Amino acid sequence: MAAPRRSARPTPRGDDARRGVVVEGDRSDIATSTTRPRQRHLDALPYVLVAPVAIFIVGLALVPAAFTIIESFFKVDALHPPTRFTGFGNFVEIFHNHAVMNSVANTTFYVVVGVALSTILGIAMAVLLQHPFRGRGVVIAILILPWALPGVVEGILWSGIFDPNSGLINGLVATFHLGAGNGVLLGQNRLLTLALIEIVQVWQITPLSTVLIFASLQLIPGEIYEAAVVDGANQWRSFASITLPLARPGIAVAMVEAVIATVNIFDQPYVLNGAASTGSSVTMQTYFVSFQNLNFGQGYALSLLVALVTVVLSVVVLRFVYRKVEL
Amino acid sequence: MKRKQARVTRQGAAGLAGLTAIALLAAGCSAGGGSATASGASTDVAGVTITVALPADSAPPAAALAAFTKESGIKVNWVISDWDSLQTKISAAATANTYFADVTNVDWSRVGQLGKLGWFQPLEEYLDVNALKADMPQLGSFTLDGHLIGVPYDSSYMVTTVNTDLFAKAGITTMPTTMDEYTNDLEQIKAKGVVEYPLNIPFLAAEGLSTYWYETTNAFGGAVLDASGKPLFTDPSSPGYKAAQWMVDALTGGLVPPGNINVNDGQGEQTLMAQGMVASTLSDYSGLINSLYNVTDSSNVAGKIEYLPTPGVNGPAGNLSNPDGMGIPTQAKNPAAAAKFIEWFNSASTQEDFAGLNGQDKVWGSSFIPSRVSVVEKLAQAGSLADGEHLAAMLQTASPVFPEGAPAWYPTFSNAVYTNLHAAATGSMSVADAISAIAAVANQQASNG
Repeated sequence: MAAPRRSARPTPRGDDARRGVVVEGDRSDIATSTTRPRQRHLDALPYVLVAPVAIFIVGLALVPAAFTIIESFFKVDALHPPTRFTGFGNFVEIFHNHAVMNSVANTTFYVVVGVALSTILGIAMAVLLQHPFRGRGVVIAILILPWALPGVVEGILWSGIFDPNSGLINGLVATFHLGAGNGVLLGQNRLLTLALIEIVQVWQITPLSTVLIFASLQLIPGEIYEAAVVDGANQWRSFASITLPLARPGIAVAMVEAVIATVNIFDQPYVLNGAASTGSSVTMQTYFVSFQNLNFGQGYALSLLVALVTVVLSVVVLRFVYRKVEL
Repeated sequence: MKRKQARVTRQGAAGLAGLTAIALLAAGCSAGGGSATASGASTDVAGVTITVALPADSAPPAAALAAFTKESGIKVNWVISDWDSLQTKISAAATANTYFADVTNVDWSRVGQLGKLGWFQPLEEYLDVNALKADMPQLGSFTLDGHLIGVPYDSSYMVTTVNTDLFAKAGITTMPTTMDEYTNDLEQIKAKGVVEYPLNIPFLAAEGLSTYWYETTNAFGGAVLDASGKPLFTDPSSPGYKAAQWMVDALTGGLVPPGNINVNDGQGEQTLMAQGMVASTLSDYSGLINSLYNVTDSSNVAGKIEYLPTPGVNGPAGNLSNPDGMGIPTQAKNPAAAAKFIEWFNSASTQEDFAGLNGQDKVWGSSFIPSRVSVVEKLAQAGSLADGEHLAAMLQTASPVFPEGAPAWYPTFSNAVYTNLHAAATGSMSVADAISAIAAVANQQASNG
């Protein structure tokens, strides 16, 4: 009896076909194909396709970064030329600058509170959106709006809400006889000012955290939850043992995004509180040092430190929060 | 055939990507290449397009710019920018030696800095300065070491505004001329319950707070810095110290709304006045009666606000000027055309058009008080300027905040002024400490030169 004729190509079957798995009977064909001598020739297309982005990144990120690193070791002061090498002089001066050190404390508050709040709220909102419901798409579209707005616009919007005379917050405080006398005043008290500014930023960055975590949740197969129910797990147990661990990639990325946004906070404190020390951030000080005082050397040094802190915090978040998930 | 099509697509993609890469490279390489320094600039202005970047809410009427183009052959690309962004652009472009505009803002407070750095071209090479000086008393604010680097297009100066209706309700019919009288009147208004908080001071840590302090110091009979930039306000009996103490006491004593701790000198402060929530602003801006307080859409005090010569020690003090000017950056591509534009823009006829003397279709919404005295006087005579006679008189005597020119380190000094005065107002530091901190910055900067 003649042997059944093999097809020229591997034949996937059933579910294996959908997963792209090749059935075992076709191994010989694969082996045959791999024994052919490979013709290695340089295909320029991938490189050419990547070139625009590569040039873009090199030109607009790497070159300025290298320039910043080099110049941070020079005294570059437009009002007091010439430019000269100063070693770590700019960094030492930064640490003796009271306004900068004050802004470091403020920024630490923004980072700790901002990252924590935006992550917790992001998880909560993503879980609420996890199960389909009518109008979910519209809710997500509305949810993303604060993230899409420029920081300055948000600052102006919220300055109206916080307005001491006609704002919503003080209107409510007066209506319900809350607070002591003068209502909720931005700028009057450092902790209150920091908290109010951070509320505005959390309002802006939480939508992105929500979307990133929501994307992770969408990848979790429903069967896992069904199995947990069969095993007697309640909703909290499912959340703690399934949702949170499997959403860790999304949570990690959301936290890194929050770290970047909070370390670099500028618009909200500047628009809401001016240059006051009660809310001033490190990036605001970078702006003042660079573009008000025209001491670009110190500005470069401060920018470099901000970048380093951002990278270190991001790595720490990834190290402790990120876990590779294979579903 | 199909295979060939695929190859064509692949090659096309590669070509497109390559072209994009080349374009990016070219764009990157030419970022500063488009600039032309004064030495290499064109002097043939016909057919030239200039970029004008000013901190204004709107561009002048298109018809006005078209008329200028017809007259001179110069086309104008008008760029709108807010004041802060524009100052950053000016610094960034000058530092990078890159072109960004042919005409841009020269604020009075940056004249020292911009002049020292040589970021703007001396205008006496292009304009008849003596002819301008006769009609523009604020030209001195834009002159440094004998060089004119800007021409004021708006004659903003600080004035005191009072709500005469609220003063009358408190039984005050004679307006105060001294600071003592002024303070007593404000206390009387509060005591009689006419308004809870009669005085407007913008305590947000921003430039407006510094400006207010300079004018208040002027009201107390002095200036903040001497000719060499050293502080004149460290002694508790000095006008600067008294002014700071008076401002903070006004807040803590309940003359100023507590919410003003976070109010700026723009919309926030002006709204309080326009809504009749406060009775007076010691350091207000000239022209606001016309542009805001008498505009019934946005004000409920129309006809009730008057300009008052700023109260002084023994009688009215002078007014300090804070005009906005325009100049030509060193990297301008077409300085000759830019100079023509500045000449036209600040001519008496154009200022009359913008101010509304020749019909509403020529009005420029961002124009407040013309910088030419002759135009202000015409406006006053035509009845187009509320309280115009007072304004014209005050304009003629308005003097610069720094008679010797703003120091090159003014932005650093101003930052110290508004952050420390704000801190004193919040109670996080005393007035004495705030004054010491401001003086330390002035001394350090003056020593550095």
